[in-house]
Amino acid sequence: MTKLRTRLGALICALILMAAGAPVSITGQLLAYQDGFVFLTTGDGFRLAPSVTILDEKTKAPAKREPRARDYARITFNDAGQVVEIDLSDKPYPVGPLPEVVAQYAITASTPYPNPELEGPPPTTSNGVAKTYTGKLVLVKFEVQVPPTTPISAQIYIATDVSDWNPQAIQMDRIDALHFVAIRRMASGTIIHYLYTRGSLQTEERGPNGLSLRPRELVVNDSDTNSTNSVVASWADSNANGLLDQPSVFPTPYNPNPFPNLPRGVRTPQPQ
Amino acid sequence: MLCAPASAQPSAAPKATPSPAPALPPTTLRLRADRIDFYYDRYLIEATGHVRVQTSNGMTIVGDTFSMDLRLNRFLIASNVHLRSRGGNIDGAAIADFLDFNRIYFVPVIQKPDRWTYENGDFLHPLKGRQMPGDVFYFPDVGRDRVSFDAKSALIESKHFARFSDVRAFLLGAIIPLPSFYVYFGVSQDLVENSLSGANYDTTWNATGNANSISAAHIRYDQFNHLYLGFEQHFAGNDPHEYAVFSVSPFTKDDRYWNLVTGEHIGSKFEIDSFSQLYTNQQFLAQPTASAETTYITMTQALHRSSVQTFLNQTYYNLIGPEAPYSLNHPSFGTLTWTSYNNEIFKSPLYLQTHFGLGFNHDSVNGLYNFGGYLYTTIWNQYADFTFSLPNVKIGNRNKAYAQYYLNASLDTQRQWYSIPHYVNTQNSTISLSRQYSRFVNSYLSYNVDNTSDIYRHAAYTPSIPNLPDGTPYTPFAAFHGAATLRTLTWATTYAASPNLVSTLSFIHHQDFPAAYPGLFTQPPLNAIGQYTYSNYLGQPPWQVSGEVRARLFPHLVLDLQRTYYFHFGSQIWSPSFVVQLST
Repeated sequence: MTKLRTRLGALICALILMAAGAPVSITGQLLAYQDGFVFLTTGDGFRLAPSVTILDEKTKAPAKREPRARDYARITFNDAGQVVEIDLSDKPYPVGPLPEVVAQYAITASTPYPNPELEGPPPTTSNGVAKTYTGKLVLVKFEVQVPPTTPISAQIYIATDVSDWNPQAIQMDRIDALHFVAIRRMASGTIIHYLYTRGSLQTEERGPNGLSLRPRELVVNDSDTNSTNSVVASWADSNANGLLDQPSVFPTPYNPNPFPNLPRGVRTPQPQ
Repeated sequence: MLCAPASAQPSAAPKATPSPAPALPPTTLRLRADRIDFYYDRYLIEATGHVRVQTSNGMTIVGDTFSMDLRLNRFLIASNVHLRSRGGNIDGAAIADFLDFNRIYFVPVIQKPDRWTYENGDFLHPLKGRQMPGDVFYFPDVGRDRVSFDAKSALIESKHFARFSDVRAFLLGAIIPLPSFYVYFGVSQDLVENSLSGANYDTTWNATGNANSISAAHIRYDQFNHLYLGFEQHFAGNDPHEYAVFSVSPFTKDDRYWNLVTGEHIGSKFEIDSFSQLYTNQQFLAQPTASAETTYITMTQALHRSSVQTFLNQTYYNLIGPEAPYSLNHPSFGTLTWTSYNNEIFKSPLYLQTHFGLGFNHDSVNGLYNFGGYLYTTIWNQYADFTFSLPNVKIGNRNKAYAQYYLNASLDTQRQWYSIPHYVNTQNSTISLSRQYSRFVNSYLSYNVDNTSDIYRHAAYTPSIPNLPDGTPYTPFAAFHGAATLRTLTWATTYAASPNLVSTLSFIHHQDFPAAYPGLFTQPPLNAIGQYTYSNYLGQPPWQVSGEVRARLFPHLVLDLQRTYYFHFGSQIWSPSFVVQLST
């Protein structure tokens, strides 16, 4: 909404200035400065006037270098649509589509025509929200139900492909005996692959049939809050008889002892 | 006045990009530039100065600046661009390649600028003038991001990895020159499976690698070994769950562990995993003075709504031979378990999961257990386990999300029979009630009872009275005859002020039998990073209050502060404990 307002404002200002006969200027980020043209990151190229001046926007003195890609600049046009002044700026300017009044100055050799791949409304999610990805930060809520045999003192984490599959990348908070939750802020459009773990890749989740799982996938859309509810069927190290321990434990616990830390001096079972 | 054609619509808002092309093979880019910056937080490569890119699909592009978002799988080269392809040599202002979509967007400058789209690698027939997605030539804003490292060249395989050469890494203000650095950004975890034991601190240098392997050095710290080096080699196949990881650590200490972890998916319903560990005590690579080895093998077969798992372990405590002063015993154990799905019981909110299994333990050298005057070298066991659960029953006003309570309960009961004439019953039950008070505040109350009883048919735990640390006999323990009950009541509240700041306050009350007393029970063994190797044990303090604040200071740095007080534990009125943890 803010972007729309900004663009609308820029368009109105440009129209007013045109009506008043003032030179038209826009701001943006440069893509290239070459061959008598300056290009913006919209992909539009504008012809340079022979007497184009390059200034430092802050001091209004001639700039010490030529414009180059990634520079932010204010660009002023003459009535013929040529660029007469480029003011290089240290501070970033908003990057977006050009107002129509300036877009008409863009030079293209071929006649533009619509791209059928870009036509039609954007697809929607199952709840009717448009699948648009503007990159704005939105809240993403992960909620998971763990197997009932998960130890009550267990910590649950999320391992993701955006954190090198660090098995403790996102720590979750317990909300009851079987559920954990984590909330993160992510840019819409983010595609995240993830698995739940108990802190190591040896304790990552497994499917209900005991086999390893392909990572879960979440595409973050523009909704203010994205949420995902998952159920962990089992853990890689789960075993009903409790014999299994993490494989990093050495040596092997071969003789199950139901009370492994009895007081010193308490004897093990004796025949009567 | 120069005018663009009236139909020009360059001001169109960014529109949806076309659907990705089906399963394109990965593209390889060879990038050279005066300076290549990598932003780990955002998986961005930004290069400037004499940029030269060669692609595996036959393009060579030079330009002044390069930008690639590894996650979006697209790159942009801008300013004084020269493209050499099957379509010839063309100069331009910018070129963007959307690799997932097999679309290349080009701004050629031949007398006048133009807009060309190369579709599906057809460089001979560019679509001239076709409208492009609105953001194809946008540079990412990295003004607030820190460069993780810079380099002079990079090999990038789309959707898999990037390998940089002539690297300068920036770590805590220091510049560390490295010959190379490897970054993996694939969606499968197989290539980064870990075979190293836990450590309190680990810095990894992924020295080199490709789509199927990574070679990494680790600088690590843990409280047993202190500072040491480790090495790890990863391999992964192209199919899911196909990997092998080898590691040696601590490489710079005499006590050394050589680990091998493998995984293999055979067919669609069978998986085999293994873990082997060789222990050596040796100076560098000299003849070891002590050596032991253990191997775990797990095989899982998926069945209709259930699975069967076989688990085998063999351990050799002395690989040196009889001349070494160590036991030659080599125990083994194995289990065969059938596990059902977690099945709904007659469309009720109740679920049941069932396990049945049998297993054995064997040690022919030292034997396993001396009982009734007989040394058992093999112990067989069978077990049955039933887990009932009741997840998420809503109570209260269903129209108000923040006025609802959620009831969860579970009961796990198991009996395990041994060929030594005894059996062990374990029963673990938990019930909890939780409520979300607002978007920020959540609270729950849970009660957990853990019963374990070790029952002998012809014998029993002999009543014995241990001494307290001060030598006084602890007579209440005389009532213990092999059955223990641990009861835990927990109340916890979490306040999540924002995703980056979460605080939790919890009260825990243990009421156990045998009752706890400070110093009476032996502490569970600790692993390398100082954690107890099992979590539910005899002797926990009866009253405990814990506070925790977790704050994300930077995108990859979390500060975790925990403070715990123990009350009325023997002669201790209160005993504070403080934990500060930094994690990534």
